[in-house]
Amino acid sequence: MDKDQILGTVSSIVAEICGVEKDAVNENSTVGDFPAWDSVGHLSILSKVEETYDISFEPEEMMEIEDVKDIVEAVYNILQK
Amino acid sequence: MTIEEQIVLNSINRPDHIALIAGDEKVSYSQLWERCLVAATNVKKKYGLKQGDRIILSASANIDFIYAYLGIHIAGGICVPIDPDTNESRFELIKASTAPVCTMGTLLKVEGTSTIPLSNLLESCDVVEPFRQIEIDTIADVLFTTGTTGAPKGVSLSHKNLSAAALNINTFIKNTADDVELLALPVSHSFGLGRVRCVLSKGGTLVLLGSFASMKKFFGCIDRYHCTGFGMVPAGWGYIKKMSGKKLGQYADQLRYIEIGSSFMPVEDKELLCELLPQTRICMHYGLTEASRSAFMEFHSEGKHLNTAGKPSPNVDIKIFDAEGHLLLNGEEGEVCVKGNHVTCSYWNESKDRFAKDFFNGYFRTGDSGYLDEDGYIHLKSRIKEIINVGGKKVSPMEVEDILNSIPGIEDCACVAMPDPEGVMGELVKAFIVTHDESLTDTAILAALKPKLEVYKLPAAIERIDSIPKTASGKVQRLQLK
Repeated sequence: MDKDQILGTVSSIVAEICGVEKDAVNENSTVGDFPAWDSVGHLSILSKVEETYDISFEPEEMMEIEDVKDIVEAVYNILQK
Repeated sequence: MTIEEQIVLNSINRPDHIALIAGDEKVSYSQLWERCLVAATNVKKKYGLKQGDRIILSASANIDFIYAYLGIHIAGGICVPIDPDTNESRFELIKASTAPVCTMGTLLKVEGTSTIPLSNLLESCDVVEPFRQIEIDTIADVLFTTGTTGAPKGVSLSHKNLSAAALNINTFIKNTADDVELLALPVSHSFGLGRVRCVLSKGGTLVLLGSFASMKKFFGCIDRYHCTGFGMVPAGWGYIKKMSGKKLGQYADQLRYIEIGSSFMPVEDKELLCELLPQTRICMHYGLTEASRSAFMEFHSEGKHLNTAGKPSPNVDIKIFDAEGHLLLNGEEGEVCVKGNHVTCSYWNESKDRFAKDFFNGYFRTGDSGYLDEDGYIHLKSRIKEIINVGGKKVSPMEVEDILNSIPGIEDCACVAMPDPEGVMGELVKAFIVTHDESLTDTAILAALKPKLEVYKLPAAIERIDSIPKTASGKVQRLQLK
């Protein structure tokens, strides 16, 4: 799976959880950009990503994830393993 | 002495001590006080605020909010802090109830209402009015809570209430003027706003972060400003743990205190915190907007009582009464009732006669049921009030039920709190529905709810039952569904 595909899926998840249009989300969208992307929203996004790809992030990975690009990278790296 | 009077003393005694830090900006106590006086002057001269007038303040953890909040008090006004995320219907109800002279700060979900930017309050004014003593028994804040019915209820807090609460909290936690506190809590609620008052009245330093969402920023601020404490709700600990594992333990020598808000927290979580931070005062409170931090416990020194809500805070008395207002003995279960100068002076727009019904013999009725053990510790059994607490956010069951009931095929429903199986959010919403439509799937129900509710308010589980338990008068008995 390439990064563009992951970006598409992750953007949809962020859009759904934050209650915004998918067009409003890009790879630089980050925690705090949308009102619903607070700690509860962040956790919901990461849980949904984990569920979608059947993966789980380690706490060290979680801490580094702040924006859409970070999520895409983290997913890509785990899927490569 | 009011909080503002304590701050003016701090500005005289330690004028150059840093009061606030936000990003790269640092504000000393003398600067803080000067700016609060400018804000107070402007709010009177430009916006016509008179003694006792209300201003709705969209409350986000930035420096301008702090100037506005204190400035309105100094000018004799009443602050009505609301969440920037407040929806339109809730805003309209609060506005109708408080008839404010204006609304300040950014509202994200309200269209068509012009609000005044907080920065306008700092515009230069020709003559800054000197500070005049604030009458301690007047109302300082009206905080609107999430009522079970969905209608917001205004809790009035006098200057005396606010300073009594700050004194009780600082006494228990043992805060000092040398503390540097990281504030990641929302300031539109009693807990976060209370932390602001505690730190500034004591003369400490407050680092404004505003949210736990970015753990990188959270730990970055603790490192950079050498923070000695912070406040969090139990779900905040769930979040920190999930996002950063045991990293907090690296700050064991630095963190002097943590204050934890009142909602359910598993004993294992408390024990883990004790293990990671063996020298930190880890103080968990029990309280409500009407009676902020009525009880406290410290995890290390009271480790045998981790399953309780602690003991009454300094200067607070707690007793248990039965439904008729008779005092109960230790071990007998009834309603937890609180007495102290921190207890709300009134509900906004409610008669004295009605308000008097919220008391038994001078003790405020919390709506929580529990008992006191032989050592005086409070054991909470259940909430008589039925608000669902999702990761620290309050959800009114009726708000979700009203929307569920509008879905074709659902004949009746009730929502209650269920524990989060992941142990992170604390509670989640569970919906019980009555339906004879077999084609109505959970997916279809959630799809109908999604456009109308924030994600955290969506039911995490939906169970079909034959009927919703109700009292003879038709009131839903949600506690029977738990």
